[in-house]
Amino acid sequence: MALKVPCPNCGPRSYTEFSFGGELRELGVTDIEDDFRRVYLPENPAGSQEERWYHELGCRRWFTLSRDTVTNRIEA
Amino acid sequence: MAPSFEFEGKQVPIAQGDTIASALYRAGVRTFTRSLKLHRRRGLYCLTGDCPNCLVSVDGVPGTRSCTTPADAGMVVEREDGWPSTDHDLMRLTEAAHPLMPVGFYYKTFIHPRFAWPVAEKIIRKVTGLGRLPEDRAPDIRPTRHVRADVLVVGAGVAGLAAAGAAAERGERVLICDEGEIGEKVAPGPTQDRIRGLADEVRGFAAVTVLERHTAVGMYDGPMVALDGPRELVQVHPGRVVVATGAVEYHGVFKGNDVPGVWQARGAARLAGVHGLLPGARAVAVIAGEEGAPHVATLTDAGVEIAAVVAALDHADVMPDGVRFIPDGRIVRTHGGEAVRAVTIETEAGRQRIACDALILSLGLSPRDDLLRMGPEDPVVGAGDVVMPGCSLDEAVESGHRAGSGEADTSVDAAASHDAACPSMGDAGTVCLCEDVSVEDLHRAWDEGYRSSEIVKRYTTATMGPCQGAMCGLHLACFAKERSGGSRKAGARTTSRPPARPVSLEALAGAVHEVIEKRTALHDRHLAAGARLDWSGSWKRPFNYGDWRSEYLAVRERVSLMDVGTLGKMLIGGRDAGSLVDRVFPTRIEDLAPGRSRYLLALGEAGYVFDDGLVCALDDGRYYLTSTSGGADGMERWLREWADRWALHANIVNQTPMLGAIVVAGPHARDLLASLSDDALDPVSFPYMAHREIAVAGVPCRAIRVGFVGELAYELHHPRSRGVELWDALMAAGTPYDIRPHGLDALELLRLEKGHVYLAQDTMPDDTPAKLGMEWAVAMDKPDFVGKVALERMAQIPLERKLVGLRIGDANAAGDANRNGHRGDAIHDVAALRGMPLYAGEALVGRITSCERSDVLGYGVGLGWLRTDGDGEVPTALRAGDVAVSVVPAPFYDPKGARLRA
Repeated sequence: MALKVPCPNCGPRSYTEFSFGGELRELGVTDIEDDFRRVYLPENPAGSQEERWYHELGCRRWFTLSRDTVTNRIEA
Repeated sequence: MAPSFEFEGKQVPIAQGDTIASALYRAGVRTFTRSLKLHRRRGLYCLTGDCPNCLVSVDGVPGTRSCTTPADAGMVVEREDGWPSTDHDLMRLTEAAHPLMPVGFYYKTFIHPRFAWPVAEKIIRKVTGLGRLPEDRAPDIRPTRHVRADVLVVGAGVAGLAAAGAAAERGERVLICDEGEIGEKVAPGPTQDRIRGLADEVRGFAAVTVLERHTAVGMYDGPMVALDGPRELVQVHPGRVVVATGAVEYHGVFKGNDVPGVWQARGAARLAGVHGLLPGARAVAVIAGEEGAPHVATLTDAGVEIAAVVAALDHADVMPDGVRFIPDGRIVRTHGGEAVRAVTIETEAGRQRIACDALILSLGLSPRDDLLRMGPEDPVVGAGDVVMPGCSLDEAVESGHRAGSGEADTSVDAAASHDAACPSMGDAGTVCLCEDVSVEDLHRAWDEGYRSSEIVKRYTTATMGPCQGAMCGLHLACFAKERSGGSRKAGARTTSRPPARPVSLEALAGAVHEVIEKRTALHDRHLAAGARLDWSGSWKRPFNYGDWRSEYLAVRERVSLMDVGTLGKMLIGGRDAGSLVDRVFPTRIEDLAPGRSRYLLALGEAGYVFDDGLVCALDDGRYYLTSTSGGADGMERWLREWADRWALHANIVNQTPMLGAIVVAGPHARDLLASLSDDALDPVSFPYMAHREIAVAGVPCRAIRVGFVGELAYELHHPRSRGVELWDALMAAGTPYDIRPHGLDALELLRLEKGHVYLAQDTMPDDTPAKLGMEWAVAMDKPDFVGKVALERMAQIPLERKLVGLRIGDANAAGDANRNGHRGDAIHDVAALRGMPLYAGEALVGRITSCERSDVLGYGVGLGWLRTDGDGEVPTALRAGDVAVSVVPAPFYDPKGARLRA
């Protein structure tokens, strides 16, 4: 499957240069139960998801992108 | 003398253009392998590298495809199966015992009695198996090379070459690979002429790289395609991929379909047309496609007597003159058992037996589409036979052009592959040549309740051998589709995964990333001092300098150095630096005055401790953080993640590689530094847990007073480039104190006596501060920090376990030597108890994570886990094996910390 990750600084680079940060999680959750769901129960969709990437072997920038987990197509 | 290679003790001559298989065949070898379970004879069949029949061992490398491997003088070739030999195989008897090895016998047989399995397994392992791994041969690990290209074309046949040409014309950088030499698999004729012409054109482009004898073994995310070459593994990172791997002839399934003398037509034609060898003297050909007639002509020209051609009626006019033509017939079986002696053909008129010594099968084409099905998304497209099996040369060129110029959007269509034509399959015969799975076996599996291609595959192991379903993948899917009454789901092709072709472990081993060995600036100093260096994460660190107990004593009684240049070191600036540190960590930051430092705990969002270190507030509003040696990259990543998510203005510099650090520890640490520095070091100006910028022997240092070892100690962080200078000055000035460096072995006891935890050695991935007894390091009254809500939630749940200090070898239990206390404890080998389970009475209640004998205290000290009761209490009287263990509050040594505050 195709997986070139568009780094906002460096442009499209091989996914092997990045580390994956998982699903984008909500911020500012203070309710205990909501926080539990946020941390332990990710959506894990078969389809589009917002997720975090870190260009560890490059510019070391974090960013959020939207990827289809089935096809690896990156939408944004 | 003609070139030759050694084959089972004899020399086999090599003719021009020979593969190992053709040379052996010329020398009279007909049985190349024995089948996996039944030890049936197997001879040459496809000659295109698709079937498992010709696998031999070459120079000790098992599983080499002899039909596509060029014969080289001096090779040592051996057949792999059968005992005592492949020709005379006594294990052939196992066919009589077929009912004893039924389908799924792995799962059924020898389950009871259980003790019999190890014996049975040994026997089965000897009877079955494909080749032996060489035991006395050093692995020839091949280097991995990374190549980038705009377009990768896999397969240099008509379509592939056309695609490469079209892409090159557009100015793209093209890499085209083929598992053989271009055109070598194809018998002389129009196809070969077309290939040669296109190859000449493609080689004319400067932007095209041709890699022959490079087999594409798999497609991975990226896309990345791994090519297994003769002396290298190539990882290609292409912009897009054209898969033009062609097609393989349908495997014919009928009774006796696998004996030597049954040939795929391409193989027979190649043998005759390329190598000038005859597949037999008298052959019957069964033809179901347009491709068959030219192959028959090739065989006739070579001198094979064609006894009969069995084909559809409309083939009559393309048959060579004088050939007996049997219209609309069907192959029922071969006769002969060990080799083809005759075949039975069935027509409407009835059955007839025709004597012959070769059966030539041209039954249609099955796409060689493993790679295509591994990468079904853009930018991977197919071209030629792999998407249009049996297409004409012109269609192949056209399809290649479209794919090469980026116009084709015909990646394999899942629906189309479901509806692919099915090869006909009789009601007997071997479906999977690799794994010896018969038609009857498939039916038996189905009748036992395995009701889809995927699970029939797993149960029977059909498609799971060296050919990876090249022969039988389509048959299996079609079988399941038919038995399920046409279900697309049950009858789907099984998932295609790497490797598509056999690949050696040596090639894969070369693909492992280079091991990075990190060294501190003092590496050579440690070596010169006789240090035993070993891995600590990706660093090489001194474990001891020969006698760790004397190193330990230097720390406790005099003064000692330790190289801690491996510590993670971060500098955080920017107007939100304080806010970032305060919000990321549970540590209280607001009252941390410039010049002071504090223990730092790092929690994940789930509230689990993942690292620890130290935070220093600098005079200019910046912060300096240290983390564990293994945690530096993770700490940087964590800080950057939160700075980004909260949109804070914080600049993070990972100074780990640019700074060195040396610990100066021991009662004389201050005296030693004072002899090399003019800066104020007295306990009032520079107290415990403070940090100062000082010059030591002229080297600028950030000195931090810490106490991991429990003595007066300074960490000197300094420019890496001046580390050796600083080390040498400290060692020289320490001579009056009999200074010596200490390694990780001494540190283990030093920190255990203080009850300090090593993250990851003493902890588990789901440890909260409470489980570690470290609530003191968490400021729950801060408005927020990462993991705070999770800690609030877990505070409502009883603790399931606690990390506690352990006293090992209790004075009351361990015998006379201990009665009066201390030195000379009977428990000498405390370290042997590391990892031991802890019992309270007979109940298993925990485990020791670290321990060591302490001569100063006179007993063993350790840390370990204990399960709590409902109220969070832990048992206190324990044993590890027969050694008494008690829970005592850490630190064991200098509990009030007077020494480190000195």
